[in-house]
Amino acid sequence: MKPTLTHGFISDRDIMITVTTNIIGITTLTFPRIIAEDTSAADGWVPILIGGCIACFLAWLIAKIASSFPNQSFFNFTSYLLSKPIAVIISVLFILHFILVSSYQVREVSVLAHQYLFDKTPIQVISLSFLLVVVYGVAGSRAGIFRLIVLFYPTVIVGLLLLTLLPIGLFKLENLLPIFQTDFEGYLRASYSGVHVFLGFSIILFYIEVVKEPKNTPKMAIKGILIAVIFSLFLFLVCVGTFGNATTSNLFFPSFDLSRAVEIPGGFFERFDVIVFVIWTMILFTTTLISFDLVILLMMMLFKKANKMKLIYFLSPLVFLLSSLPVNYIELTTIGRFLSNSMLFLIILITILLGITYKVKGGNQN
Amino acid sequence: MSMRYIFTGNSNKPKNNNTNNNNSPNNKGEEFSITIEKDLAKNIETIKTMLGNPSDLVVRETKVGSTETKCAILYISGITNSDLVNNNILKAVQSSKIQSSQNKDQSNNNSNQSSNDQKNNQSNKEQSNNSQSSDNQTSSNKSMNQGTNNSQLNNDSQSQNSQSNNNNQSQNSQSGNEQSNNSQSNSTLLDQILTEVIAITDSKKVKTLDELSFALLSGNSIFILDGEQTTLIMDTVGGEKRSIDEPQSESVIRGSRVGFVENINTNLSLIRKEIKDPNLRFDIHEIGRRSKQKLAVCYVAGIVNEDILDEVNRRLKTIDIDFAPDSGVVEQWIEDSFLSPFPQILDTERPDRLTYNILQGKIGILVDGSPFGLITPITLGDALLSIEDYNQRWLLGSLLRFLRYISAFIAVFLPAIYVALIAYHPGMIPSQLTFSIAATRENVPFPAIVEVLLMAVTFEILQEAGIRMPKAIGATIGIVGGIVIGEVAVSAGIVGPATVIVTSLTGIATFTIPNNSLAMAVRVIRYALLIGASILGLYGIILVFILLAIHVVNLKSMGIPYSSPFAPYFLGDLKNLLIRAPITTLTKRPPYLKTDDIKKINDGGQSSK
Repeated sequence: MKPTLTHGFISDRDIMITVTTNIIGITTLTFPRIIAEDTSAADGWVPILIGGCIACFLAWLIAKIASSFPNQSFFNFTSYLLSKPIAVIISVLFILHFILVSSYQVREVSVLAHQYLFDKTPIQVISLSFLLVVVYGVAGSRAGIFRLIVLFYPTVIVGLLLLTLLPIGLFKLENLLPIFQTDFEGYLRASYSGVHVFLGFSIILFYIEVVKEPKNTPKMAIKGILIAVIFSLFLFLVCVGTFGNATTSNLFFPSFDLSRAVEIPGGFFERFDVIVFVIWTMILFTTTLISFDLVILLMMMLFKKANKMKLIYFLSPLVFLLSSLPVNYIELTTIGRFLSNSMLFLIILITILLGITYKVKGGNQN
Repeated sequence: MSMRYIFTGNSNKPKNNNTNNNNSPNNKGEEFSITIEKDLAKNIETIKTMLGNPSDLVVRETKVGSTETKCAILYISGITNSDLVNNNILKAVQSSKIQSSQNKDQSNNNSNQSSNDQKNNQSNKEQSNNSQSSDNQTSSNKSMNQGTNNSQLNNDSQSQNSQSNNNNQSQNSQSGNEQSNNSQSNSTLLDQILTEVIAITDSKKVKTLDELSFALLSGNSIFILDGEQTTLIMDTVGGEKRSIDEPQSESVIRGSRVGFVENINTNLSLIRKEIKDPNLRFDIHEIGRRSKQKLAVCYVAGIVNEDILDEVNRRLKTIDIDFAPDSGVVEQWIEDSFLSPFPQILDTERPDRLTYNILQGKIGILVDGSPFGLITPITLGDALLSIEDYNQRWLLGSLLRFLRYISAFIAVFLPAIYVALIAYHPGMIPSQLTFSIAATRENVPFPAIVEVLLMAVTFEILQEAGIRMPKAIGATIGIVGGIVIGEVAVSAGIVGPATVIVTSLTGIATFTIPNNSLAMAVRVIRYALLIGASILGLYGIILVFILLAIHVVNLKSMGIPYSSPFAPYFLGDLKNLLIRAPITTLTKRPPYLKTDDIKKINDGGQSSK
């Protein structure tokens, strides 16, 4: 068979799956803590919904603009709308952001494995081996990356459903009460964090280039976000219902600790968290893969003659070094917050810029 | 002589077309051709020299009928059916009633004379032959009137069969025409021999020594006429061949007992027998510069995706080797990634499986000399299916499939998980089990990974020895393997009993994989996972698993993603992979193949109202 066209090899459904996977991967591990910090009892569901709605709106806007430039790269349509120098600056900002995201994810996996699986193994060994697998994934074709995401999707969904359904036995209704005791400022701050949770949709800006028929992409992006919102809502409620608000806001990985509390019947596996750990590694892997691939994608847009493998060889040590920089959990949390803020800033910046110029210049003409 | 042919175009005759495509005009430019001399003796000498004067070359020089024209029949004994040569060529030529149609330089008188002679021969023979048709009698009467009896070459006319009678019959009318026009050239004599004397269906003329030698070495007989630069080749291919047997590597309980054999013509006929569709096509290629093996690409036109077909044919044309001992060589040459442990082309010994896949829109490849047909393009799931799934009721078929997937999982992951649990995460299995395993391993001096590797390698050795060993002493393997290594190794304190359980369960689970190539791949992958588990425990297993997943999603089979139908995701096809849905619901061909004809001939039982 003839090689597939360079443009447009993934379907709408693939974009939806990618959006969901990316959102779940980036923040789900830690988000119940962040939301619970600012709210009392189970009131966090309000900010999650608000955050989800805002994210849906932003995603719809971005996808609408981007999909009016079918099969054109991010750099192409931003240069068309915003002039080339600004497009370069924005691309560089995104590159820096995604490099940081990659290294943050690598560190997160290592912390998770270090904390729950083996505390004696040096953390660098864990992160390096993980990064090497990511590099192998990035070195393959981009179509392969999407296939991998689709391949892992059923496992991810089934695993996370198990994660939310199995602790039902430990669920205490009184943990959810009293309702609506959070002050307005708390809601505001939590909603701000809530938007952060769902910022993973930003990938549609860059991957719109490879979507076969981008017409339905806005709808699919919103669907993808909604799946993540519903899932996050359940996860948050189960977390708070199981641990109580105070415990949730003090656990570093509340979502993961949830699985540690569970005992599965049958008695074959003493600890359920093993199975969940497998799923978490897969999710975090796909997210890291996506952000690393976005770095490569954006850099290839800027440096048209660049060799993909050389870029990968250049970037991997950088990502590894950055991932080893944070000394403790507090620093890691700070970096996490910083990344969420920078993502939100970038998204809002690009939405406003593109939105205005799109209105002025109109859609794609060539 | 070292030129290779590339044969394109369809051949509707699966049998006896070894040489049919030799005359393809497209290839003339490539051929290495030496024209054949006019002198018969010289020709024979050339052939003998070319082949190194082999002892198995049979050269029989004789004369055509009663004429003085010399001719020779050549064949190589052992690969030729000598009965055919004796009865349908030699006897037919010697006793033919062809009038001596000489070269133009010979006198008319002479030719007239010899034609008369021949007529007389015929009448004489027919008289001596008691069983004659009325037609023959009238013709013999006619020739009786013409001249005197001449009893030349009539010694073997008694045993003449009816076939040569028929030949003579048609020659009679022909020779009548010749009388009116006496100046006949030898080329018409050759034509006449071809059309009237030779009682072999697949016969034709060739003009180059290259074609001639290829035909000779393929088991055809050669007929050379003196003073003629064109020769006849006749398909008398014979020789020993294995009879159709039950497939050794893919046995089923319910299903056909027929397996492919080494002879490609037999194999093609097996497929032809099952699909009586005029759209069934066999594209013939030739591979092996020296072996010149026939290779057939089988598909059904109108179902197959033309792009994939073109790609298969294109890749087959790039094959440039001396000899392909098995279809495995072809497989490795044309597969997408030769570095991958996964088979990207499925091998099967079963004609029914090949047929089923051809009708799914896939492409079958058969190679002469190999009892393994190839199926392409395939996906990872295909290698885990057995044709028997379709022969059982759907619930049973689905359960068996499910069982097979579980055992494939065990075959790949069990030793690695065992090592990870014992060495890194003993807290994950129930504490009682941990204690009892620890108790049995108390005397074992090795870490878990060494222990498992020892047993796994031993198992591999036993398995390999079992294949190479003569069947008569095969039982020894069972005793040595089962009792000595399993029982004694435990009591000697070299390995723990849990390791023996894990190794044997893994080994047995490997045998449930229906395809041997995939079973081999699984054996390799198992060690990669073992290494991952020994270094990083469960985390290592996950990383190696993700590595494998990345490899699989990047892998293609003839341009079709190997991970289909999971990714890209085709829900409709999963009912034919994860489970085996009832036959009536399987109405479509695999969507990832993008076949020309998407719907199978299966109306889901709608028409039976």
